[in-house]
Amino acid sequence: MGDILRLVAKRLGLGLGILLIISAIIFFMVELLPGDIAQAVLGQGATPENLAALRKEMGLDQPALVRYFDWLTNAVMFDFGNSIVTGESVVNTISARFANTLFLAAYAAVIAVPISIVLGVLVALLRNSIFDRVVNVLTLTSISSPEFFLGYILILYLAVKTGMFPAISSLSNDMNLGDLLHRTFLPALTLVLVVTAHMMRMTRAAIINLLASPYIEMARLKGTPPWKVIVKHALPNAWAPIINVVALNLAYLITGVVLVEVVFVYPGIGQALVDAVSKRDFPVVQACCLIFAATFILLNLAADVGAILTNPRLRHPK
Amino acid sequence: MNVFVIIYYTLLLGGSCLAAFYNKRSAFLLLFSLTLISFILGIVGGVGALRVVATCAGLLALSAMVAYAFREFLVAIAPTNLAKELRTAPLTAGFGMFVIFTYAIAGIFAPWIAPFGEAQIISSAFAPPDETMLLGADQLGRDMFSRVIFGARNTVALALAGTVMAFLLGALAGLLAATTGGWFDQLLARTSDVIMSIPSLIFALLMLSIFGGELANNTTSFILLTVFAGVTGLLVVKAVSERSLIGWIIGLAVLAGVSMAFAVGMLSIFNPSEIILVLVVAVIYSPRVFRLTRAVAGNVVVMDYIEAAKLRGERTWYLIRREILPNSTAPLVAEFGLEFCFVFLLIAGLSFLGLGIQPPTADWGSMVRENATLISFGDVTPLIPAGAIALLTVAINFVVDWMLHRSSGLKG
Amino acid sequence: MKKNKDQVLMDRLADAARAGTISRRSFMHYAAAAGVTASAATGLWGTSAKAAPKRGGTLRVAQHDGNTSDQHDPGKYQSNFEIGYGHTVRAYLTMINADGTLGPDVAKEWSATPDAKEWTFVLDERATFHNGNKVTAADVLASINHHRGDDATSAAKSLLGDVVEIVDNGDHSITFKLAGPNADLPWLMTDYHLTVLPAKADGTADWQSGIGCGPYKVAELEFGVGGRFVRHEDWHGEGAWFDEVEVLVINDPNARQTALVTGDVDTASLLENKTLMLLARDPNIEVDNISSAQAITMPMHCDVAPFDNPDVRMALKLSINRQELVDKITFGAATIGNDFHHSPAMPYFPEAIPQREYDPEKAKSLLKKAGAEGLTVNLSTADSITTGAVDAAILYSEHAKAAGINIKVVREPNDGYWSDVWLVKPWCMVTWGARPTPDVMYSLAYKSDAAWNESHWQNERFNELLLQGKAELDNAKRMEIYHEMGMLARDDGGTVIPYFPNFVYARRSNVKHTGSLSPAWQMDGYRYASRWWFEG
Repeated sequence: MGDILRLVAKRLGLGLGILLIISAIIFFMVELLPGDIAQAVLGQGATPENLAALRKEMGLDQPALVRYFDWLTNAVMFDFGNSIVTGESVVNTISARFANTLFLAAYAAVIAVPISIVLGVLVALLRNSIFDRVVNVLTLTSISSPEFFLGYILILYLAVKTGMFPAISSLSNDMNLGDLLHRTFLPALTLVLVVTAHMMRMTRAAIINLLASPYIEMARLKGTPPWKVIVKHALPNAWAPIINVVALNLAYLITGVVLVEVVFVYPGIGQALVDAVSKRDFPVVQACCLIFAATFILLNLAADVGAILTNPRLRHPK
Repeated sequence: MNVFVIIYYTLLLGGSCLAAFYNKRSAFLLLFSLTLISFILGIVGGVGALRVVATCAGLLALSAMVAYAFREFLVAIAPTNLAKELRTAPLTAGFGMFVIFTYAIAGIFAPWIAPFGEAQIISSAFAPPDETMLLGADQLGRDMFSRVIFGARNTVALALAGTVMAFLLGALAGLLAATTGGWFDQLLARTSDVIMSIPSLIFALLMLSIFGGELANNTTSFILLTVFAGVTGLLVVKAVSERSLIGWIIGLAVLAGVSMAFAVGMLSIFNPSEIILVLVVAVIYSPRVFRLTRAVAGNVVVMDYIEAAKLRGERTWYLIRREILPNSTAPLVAEFGLEFCFVFLLIAGLSFLGLGIQPPTADWGSMVRENATLISFGDVTPLIPAGAIALLTVAINFVVDWMLHRSSGLKG
Repeated sequence: MKKNKDQVLMDRLADAARAGTISRRSFMHYAAAAGVTASAATGLWGTSAKAAPKRGGTLRVAQHDGNTSDQHDPGKYQSNFEIGYGHTVRAYLTMINADGTLGPDVAKEWSATPDAKEWTFVLDERATFHNGNKVTAADVLASINHHRGDDATSAAKSLLGDVVEIVDNGDHSITFKLAGPNADLPWLMTDYHLTVLPAKADGTADWQSGIGCGPYKVAELEFGVGGRFVRHEDWHGEGAWFDEVEVLVINDPNARQTALVTGDVDTASLLENKTLMLLARDPNIEVDNISSAQAITMPMHCDVAPFDNPDVRMALKLSINRQELVDKITFGAATIGNDFHHSPAMPYFPEAIPQREYDPEKAKSLLKKAGAEGLTVNLSTADSITTGAVDAAILYSEHAKAAGINIKVVREPNDGYWSDVWLVKPWCMVTWGARPTPDVMYSLAYKSDAAWNESHWQNERFNELLLQGKAELDNAKRMEIYHEMGMLARDDGGTVIPYFPNFVYARRSNVKHTGSLSPAWQMDGYRYASRWWFEG
């Protein structure tokens, strides 16, 4: 166990390093974007005078490096500053949004992860049967359609035609959990459709890949029933790639749902990030990207630890 | 009771009885359960529902026949060895190959197949289908059918180029990292962590906004392409030459030439803004491939036979080529099919946000977006390009499944 | 018994008016065509369309174009959500009425000196802020000064460039002293930036608190998501029938439309024209299609070859089929353009100027005369300009082929379009919001030395007329001046104007309005909250 703790500590340290690099990359990418924040704020209404005045007010007359290190020194002390455009504190601007995003991701994950692993094991067991083929075609179709398109179709059938679910998922403060789950069902379902296929297919591939191994052959020759061969013998060795793909998809559920947010009018963090990018509002972009990056790093760390725990051979490198 | 219903049930029942008589258990179960379901459907949904079932079954049978015929056709024209392999292909794979073949023909010969140009305005907006326009017109009065055909050429070529490049870079790096380990492994892993930690859509949005405008010219794209090919090639050179200095020198010289040739080749196929798109896609997706390859190869590397090969003093390149790669192909091939879909969808998503392929070039992603609002009114126009995307990705994955099945060494 | 034809027409018109499918303007137009006198038609309009408004209910609005980066500073208002917010929570000195005329808001009356260089606004003593304080001249002074001065960052700064001094007269009125005459100053005060804000002790305007003196006050507000507003009972105006207004930011056009169809919202702004016909078939939905003073322009830099040759400019103006653009790009929801930036929805519109037609043959001969046959030019555009902007450019380039002109359409990135393309590239596509008067529009973008003279057009006579028009308080004389200016811009100017897009929005049929809708902005000039009501 000590090994793993050491690994976790080391990886967390590395993660901080990665966050630092990302903050620099993001800062300079935002700097490289054509046009600056003052122009973005004033848009068509910009004249040389009010541009200059606004730049001064926003502190854009400072050199880029100075601004970056100013931000960095504050960020190290957990002060993410204020949005340049609105003057609001960044934490206030995005914390509620981030909570919404986490909720939707959790909602989708709770449905998608068990379904995909169970389905993956089932189709591996019943490989090449009609069931396998049908599940295969269905998941492939769902994964092959653009997610905004899936969203539109769900809205058409489940909201416009039947009226079972609301077409837009705007939230208000006085909702109870039941309302909330009902209101956010369609975006969650869209996300489930998007991620299930990937996880399920990876599970299936990882298991089938192992079925040719001698030890599986051995188990089979001993007369172990097929489901037991898969669940007891193949699955434990297939965890590494499965956990990896699950982690990837969880990260996607948190960081990649801008389009779903747009289609369902869900107040998540992705929309805030896209807005901030188009306004070149660097502190907000930076905070959102760092949150995403941190989420991703933590999930990956969890995946790697999981992989090591499930494959003793990795725990004791020869 | 009309003629259609009578024929429908007669065929089903007759088929079931025949299947039962000849002891075809699964066929009998399928046909008879379909009969039972039809009874219920017929009562609930009327003749209309039965017609839908019949149409679906007919389409399915038609695709099966096409798939079968196409597979036999391939077997007939292929050399003996290949023909033997092809004979093992299931019908789904046959169907997949047929679809891919059709798309390839449509893409390559688009200017001759399409009745109109992709930007040519020939009628009023949203004109319904007629003899000259098989699928009707789009929002500008351009022929939908011609645009779908041209879309095959533009979209598929872009997505394929992006995926292949992402795979070359990602898989090579992953294999090498898993084999060598140590600081090299750590460096690559951290680099990929950095790229992957930035959400792909945001990353693409930023990169395309930076490079999409003024910088989308021949010089910039040539430089970027050469750099990309150089980085990819560097991995090969490292694996092949290991610690020999001469190996490095020769390798680098060859590499420089190859990279530039590659850049020139790409520039002759795509225009600069498309190249930027391909590169962005490749950079975004290569870390995903890298991670998977590294995880899969990592499991292989700890095997005893690799240890044995290392003790024999085999070189890295040999290990990768002869020991690790063959034992990790299956998940990689499966991933290729899926990544291809993702690349496709990323490009479509970028089009949704207004980046991506430049109009009036037809691409399926933006065709879906342009017509998406019609769905609420039950108009199927936007379904056509979306269906084209879905059909191709499904077809590719059918073929991939077959290959996966074969390479896993599992028979039956 | 057979009804006479005009009577049938009038019945239909009255039905349409009751259903709210036609505007007051078109009602009057058709009624006149049916031989009804103007006063009789007005009466008819009143009886058929204007049911008595009723108080109560919560109006739920799907609003386009709202961002997380929206904010309270009126000088930086830019998104439609901010503009709608400004008209709901805050108030202005004057307003554009539903019928397009100028009316009072916080200022109840105004007058000018005969040289039009000094304007005095008398404030409405009933006007109060949401915190209970009376609106005073000091407040208005601070509000306007927020957009003036050297360190002002407001986008309305240039609009008030002529204002030399604003004086608090001490009797609940203020006087604007101008550097030159301006007959349109009261119109300028409707600009969406110029909201009335409370003054702070130091004389600056308090925009941070979000307190206004408009018909509704903020109950909840989250920029980029939406807001809930409740009626300000002490509002100085007439209306504000709804108890509450809930505005929801929905940026995806399809989502807005779906929300309206499923009844999740009561009204939705900016709908896609291509589904308008389909949407209108829904019996629960009423579509409002209002011609506006917004414009799509394509300015050519008149000092850059080949656009420095007036014949080339004319050839390009002749080789666009405007009607087809209106039909295909806007699905009919636009007013055809005529290459001078004065929409029929603006006051003083010169009706007599003939419409320019598509004439590739004439364009060809003009090019031959200019020695520019086989002309190839780049036209920059971007998706964000307007729905179908890129398609419009592509269509234009197809039209121009008939005149032997090769227009290469360049799709520029949306980000940075206004800083890197507009005013920089020699020919690009531009969208202009509605401006209240032709004088404002021409001064902004057609005067020789204007900062936004997007076509670099220099015309002495035009500039002279502009100054004359500005100082002229007699409406008939102004009409003549704007006629001549229109002709100059149309025939010599460097701007191709394909069309003026309409405002297209829709509501559930239980939401009612007077039948005339302001052409200033979307949603009845964004005054829907105070003007519309629920059917009883």
